[in-house]
Order: sequence, then C-alpha cells, then structure tokens
Amino acid sequence: MENRKAPKTQVLEERAKELEKSQAALMNILEDVKEAQESAEEERNKTLAVINNFSDGILFFDKNQRIILANPQAEFILGIKSSDLMEKLIGELKAFPSLSSLVDLVGAEIKNLSRKEIELKKDLVLEVSTVRVKNKEEEIGSLIILHDVTREKRIEMMKTEFVSLVAHQLRTPLSAIKWTLKMLLDGDLGQISNEQKEFVEKTYRSNERMIGLINDLLDATRIEEGRYLFKPQLASFEDLVKSVVEAYKDNFSNKKIDIKFTVLDKKLPGVMMDAEKLRLAVQNLIDNALRYTLSPGKVEIFLRRKEGGIEFQIKDSGVGIPQDQQERIFTKFFRAANVLRLDTEGSGLGLFIAQNIVEAHNGKIWFESKEGQGASFYFTLPVGEEFGDFLKKF
Amino acid sequence: MLKILIVEDEEILLNLLQKKLIEIGYDIVSARDGVEGLEKARSQNPGLILLDIIMPKMGGFEMMEEMQKDRNLKKIPVIIISNSGQPLELDRAKSLGAKDWLVKTEFDPKEVIEKVRKIIK
Repeated sequence: MENRKAPKTQVLEERAKELEKSQAALMNILEDVKEAQESAEEERNKTLAVINNFSDGILFFDKNQRIILANPQAEFILGIKSSDLMEKLIGELKAFPSLSSLVDLVGAEIKNLSRKEIELKKDLVLEVSTVRVKNKEEEIGSLIILHDVTREKRIEMMKTEFVSLVAHQLRTPLSAIKWTLKMLLDGDLGQISNEQKEFVEKTYRSNERMIGLINDLLDATRIEEGRYLFKPQLASFEDLVKSVVEAYKDNFSNKKIDIKFTVLDKKLPGVMMDAEKLRLAVQNLIDNALRYTLSPGKVEIFLRRKEGGIEFQIKDSGVGIPQDQQERIFTKFFRAANVLRLDTEGSGLGLFIAQNIVEAHNGKIWFESKEGQGASFYFTLPVGEEFGDFLKKF
Repeated sequence: MLKILIVEDEEILLNLLQKKLIEIGYDIVSARDGVEGLEKARSQNPGLILLDIIMPKMGGFEMMEEMQKDRNLKKIPVIIISNSGQPLELDRAKSLGAKDWLVKTEFDPKEVIEKVRKIIK
C-alpha cells in the first residue's frame, strides 16, 4: 500500500509546492497593486491639493453635465458649499440665485467660452472660461473656471471716470477759445489786419487739434466703459462711406493725394449700424491713410460683397508699417517708429477706436503692409442673418 | 422780433452768442443758471431757449423737467448747447422735448444761429 501511496504523496507535495509558489506570486502582485494604489492615491491627493489651492474657482462637470467637484475658491466666490452642489445637473444649479446668470452664460451643454465677463452680483465681476476635459480621446467632462476680476474692474472704472471728467472739464475752456477765435476771424469783433488774421488762424487750428485729441480720448474711454454702440439702425454703408470721402475730397485737394472710392458690387445690402460710430471708424482709417502717405500719393477705397457681409478696404501708397511693430498696431496709444519720424500730432488712438467700433458691430478688422510699400486696411460688417446675435445685445 | 432766452453759466460763451444774435436782430434775454432761466422763461415769454446742461443751482435737465410741468413753458422749443454729449444724455434731452443738441466744441456761434433759424422756421 505504501508503495501505491508513494506516488500520490509525491504528487500532492508537488501540488502544495506549486500552490505555495502561486501564493507567493499572488502576494507579490497584491503588494504591487497596493503600492500602485498608494502612489495613485498620492498623485490624486497632489492633484486635489493643486485644485484646492488654486486661486481661480473651478467647477468640474462629468460628461452628463453633473457637477462632481467645486474647489474652495469656487465655494468662496459663489457663496455656496460644495456639498450642496454635488451631483446636480447644470440646469438644476439655476435654483441658486447666485448661480443663475452663470448657468445662462455657459448654457445647459456647457459651451466653449474664453474669458467671458459676467457680473455675478453687485461688486462681483468674473471672467468665465470653459475647458473640455479629455482623457486620451475620450471626453470625460467640462471645467468651468471662474476668475475674479472685480478689483481690476473697479480700478478701470475709476480710471475711466477720471479721464471722462478731465476730458469734459478740458472742453469747456477750449470751446470758449474756439468761439472767440472764430468770431475774431469772421470779423464779428471788429476788423483785424491780415497779419493778425494769420496768427489767429494758426491758433484756431492748434485749438482744433486739441479738441480732436480730447475727442479721441473721450471715445477711447467710452469704449472701455462698454457703453459705446448706441441704437443701431439699418442703413446703407455705401452712402456713409461716400459722404465721408466727399468731405475729405474738399479738404485734401491741396495735398495732392488722390482719393478714390469704388464700389465693386452692385446693390450692397444694408447694415445694422451706429452710423455716427462707423463714420468715426472710417474717418480714422482715411485720416491715417492720408497722414502717412507722402504727396504725391494715392489712396483707394473699395467696398465689396463678401460671404455674410460687406468688406471695406482702404489702400494707400504710404510709408507702411514696420514688420516688427505690426502686432501692436491696434494697441491704445501705440505709434509706429517710422510714423513718429513723419509727424508727432497723432494720438495713437485712431486704430484702437476703429477696431473697437468694428468689433462692436460684430465685424473683423485687419491689415496687410510692408514698410515702405503702403498699407491696406480691411474690415468687414455682417449683413442679414449674421447680425442676429448682435441685435440681441442692444 | 423773436425773443431768445440763453441760459449759460460760461460768461464768454454767453457774451459771444448774445452779440451774434443781437446783431442779426433777435431780442435776447439771458440767465446764468436753471433757477434764473425758469424765472425768465415764465416772465419773458421767449420764443426759443438755448440751454446749457451743467450749471450751478439748477442744471439744464432739471430746468426742462420743470418746464414739462407747465402747459405754457412746455411749448417753447429748446436747443441744448453743452460740452458733453453722451448718447444717454441725448436720449434724456429728447424725451424732455429738446429740438437739438449741439456740442460746443463742434459748433461755433455762426452754426448755432443756423440751427436756430432752422427751428424757428
């Protein structure tokens, strides 16, 4: 019997050994898993610590638009505890009065936003951005980032009010000077000699320049106050450009710069516009073209129909814009080096104002230029369906 | 001849306007603030008012509001002459019945008179 049992025992012993080995291997695996888990936990804690200590408020929604994370800064900004928010759908967050306008802004589907400004309540202005979060190719949710800009806004406001007040106060004496000089020139205050007249004329022009600078400053300030466009109405942009060009033709004939206006497409549709502001944008572009084109020179203006809108182009044979300064051309107070050598009178606000006016009309503005080879400035204005959104804003 | 009331606190502007308008032959009454303006509007029965906005004691807007409450004063055409001219202000003036708004730095007395002529025609 022992002899018969012996092989069996041997088998059993071998099995036991195998099992021991397997157990050891399993233990090793378990240990590895535990280690991996611990390091994952550590990583997760690190990530959480970053999120929790982030200076911006962060809300994270899963792909079903349920909120699953709100960091302490978001709790602070919104004045709501994270535990009260958890697992709610974005639409359900509208129940919190402090969140209602934010939900309206991002929409139920959490649309893509980049630094959209919103006044959440009095004395709380946020810049809101959203980010789609992807893990490899799969979308796992959306982030809403809340950046508090209340302080910056307040400073901007104070600055704006200050500039506005100063500009207004400056206009009062300037109008007194203007009226006096004008009446002197018109002979309303008695006859003056030709020599006197010459001096008074020069003074009058200097005063007009000062008025122009202050108007620019006021326009730039109003743009920053965000209340710039006023009661847009459907009108013909072609007529507007024509009337501006006509006014220039009278004034600049002596400078030997030919200004030509061509409408390339027939029957251009009307545009929703704040005519006074658009006129200013067109004037600023023509001013620049004339100012920076040496006599004899050529300035050409074209209007053409483009998909979804009208395109305005002004092409000059002027000094052009140096390559290394092209990026800053629309910046407030910026004046290119070659232009500064040419004249020192400009305020550096013309293009900044034009850009803001065009963009307020939902249009785009850009240019093409090489130093010494003139410049072409373009802008588009939407027509038809495309100003739907724009209309809603006003 | 038409009687025009000028309500303006800036002395030079008042004098220049007055001079120009008198030369043409208008009858001129002047006031230096809204309170005086209202008083003169009642006692002198002008056919037109040239009105500044920012003035001591009572500004142009307040004066127009007061005029709106009075059946007779309400009918007098008003042209605003101001150093400001923000869209919201223009809107307010229009709702108070102003006929026109002239920004002083953009006009001179000659052009103010052209506006006056247009309105009384």
